[in-house]
Amino acid sequence: MLLEIRNLRVRYKGAEVLKGISCEVEEGSIVTFLGANGAGKTTTLRAISGLVAPEAGEIWFDNKRIDGLPPQKIVQMGIRHVLEGRALFPYMSVLDNLKLGAFLQKDRSRIDQTLKDIFAHFPVLKERQGQQARTLSGGEQQMLTIARALMGHPRLLLLDEPSLGLSPMMVRQIGKIVRDIHERGVTVLLVEQNARLALGVAEKCYVFETGSIVASGTTAELVESDLVRKAYLGL
Amino acid sequence: MSGQDVVQAILNGLCMGGTYILVGLGLTLILGVMNILQFAHGEIYMLGAFTVYFLCVLKGLNLYLAVFVSMITTGVVGLIIERVLLRPLKGAFLSYVCATTGLSLILQTLVLLAFTKGTKQLPSLWKGSFELGGVYISRERVIAITMALLLTLALVIFLRRTKYGLAMTASAQNREGALMQGINPYVMSAMVMAIGSGLAAVGGALGGSIFNLDPYMGGLAFMKGITLIVIGGLGSILGAVVGGLILGIAESLLALFFGSQMGIIIPLVLVIAFLIFRPRGLFGHE
Repeated sequence: MLLEIRNLRVRYKGAEVLKGISCEVEEGSIVTFLGANGAGKTTTLRAISGLVAPEAGEIWFDNKRIDGLPPQKIVQMGIRHVLEGRALFPYMSVLDNLKLGAFLQKDRSRIDQTLKDIFAHFPVLKERQGQQARTLSGGEQQMLTIARALMGHPRLLLLDEPSLGLSPMMVRQIGKIVRDIHERGVTVLLVEQNARLALGVAEKCYVFETGSIVASGTTAELVESDLVRKAYLGL
Repeated sequence: MSGQDVVQAILNGLCMGGTYILVGLGLTLILGVMNILQFAHGEIYMLGAFTVYFLCVLKGLNLYLAVFVSMITTGVVGLIIERVLLRPLKGAFLSYVCATTGLSLILQTLVLLAFTKGTKQLPSLWKGSFELGGVYISRERVIAITMALLLTLALVIFLRRTKYGLAMTASAQNREGALMQGINPYVMSAMVMAIGSGLAAVGGALGGSIFNLDPYMGGLAFMKGITLIVIGGLGSILGAVVGGLILGIAESLLALFFGSQMGIIIPLVLVIAFLIFRPRGLFGHE
């Protein structure tokens, strides 16, 4: 397993937001977390990337225990978290945002090569490389955050609500980008409100409810289950 | 009062603005990256001035060399403050306020104890004045503004063109975003404290060559720094520069027309007005 979470508990302002969840992500797969707002999906991602300290439980990445490590160490091990709300550097240029994505990379020629790749995949970012990030449209900003994460050659990409606030056409494009990233060998853990998008790309799915995982399985199985059909697909 | 007096006042103000800028840059950087209002920043400025006094007047070192050494040693003091005092507090804003306020009193008292009483002044950076059409401008003030602008330029190049400078800017614009690129926040804090303190030390040296030194000189300098940040806009280097120059000129002109007391009071009124009507200042974000 590339990522394994065992009995993870997180408390926030006295309330238990994660009540001991366990899940795993296989190398090379796309896994998605479904669930309502406040179910604990984002908190789980934040615990993985070291932004939230767990109260109990373990997180293992590539057979190393990572809970309790500072975020920069976790990034260094190959986990990239695309935060909800994008977290761009709004007053810096698109190019500077991308360069900062490669902050931990040492090999200059490799950085340049990656940048070329990124520009080939996201021509709009190349076009707008001199513009401040805040002047981009919502969809372009989402592309930029994902591209910035890819600059660091992650093994595991955590995506938190990439389709939030985007037009239906843009949402489809995000789906395509996620598949693209996966084809390049990056393992993806996707948190999405848009269940159709999530189930469309993911192989495995965990369903969250108020801090617990209430169902899990392959997306094919879950799409057939009443729970997911009623609550997330409106069928 | 003649037109020459007004031009004279503007030029003097411009030069005073130089020392204000050096204080304000550090304050705004530290506030941006660490989310700390460094209440002892004025005392860092004072410490910078006294270090130059110690090295140059008491030990006979060359003045310019003394300013350079003071910039480095005061920068190291900034590093130590970050590591020993600020880092263990782990981000609690009120703890920072208490700790840095306490530190300012500690530094004042230490300097008071370390030096004998009596008037202390730094030698002139450059004696004499330039005359331009009946307006005199002392050479040390020209040096002050020139050094301030050169250091600001160096800072801007560092922030825009170097890897660590970009990382610092990024940390100020989005803390979590920077964390997620693998940028170590402690390294950023240490850097910003060192750079901010070094700049304030040069500010102290320039201010100290214009005015007398005393252990309490930092309080006023801190106030000026806050004023120029509010006017210029938080987190903006351009804002700090323009804010510093506006503040220097405004003080100088107000002193000319209404007396030196008003020169101090009116900018503070201006701060309150800005906070109410334009809290983001002239060049601030959001």
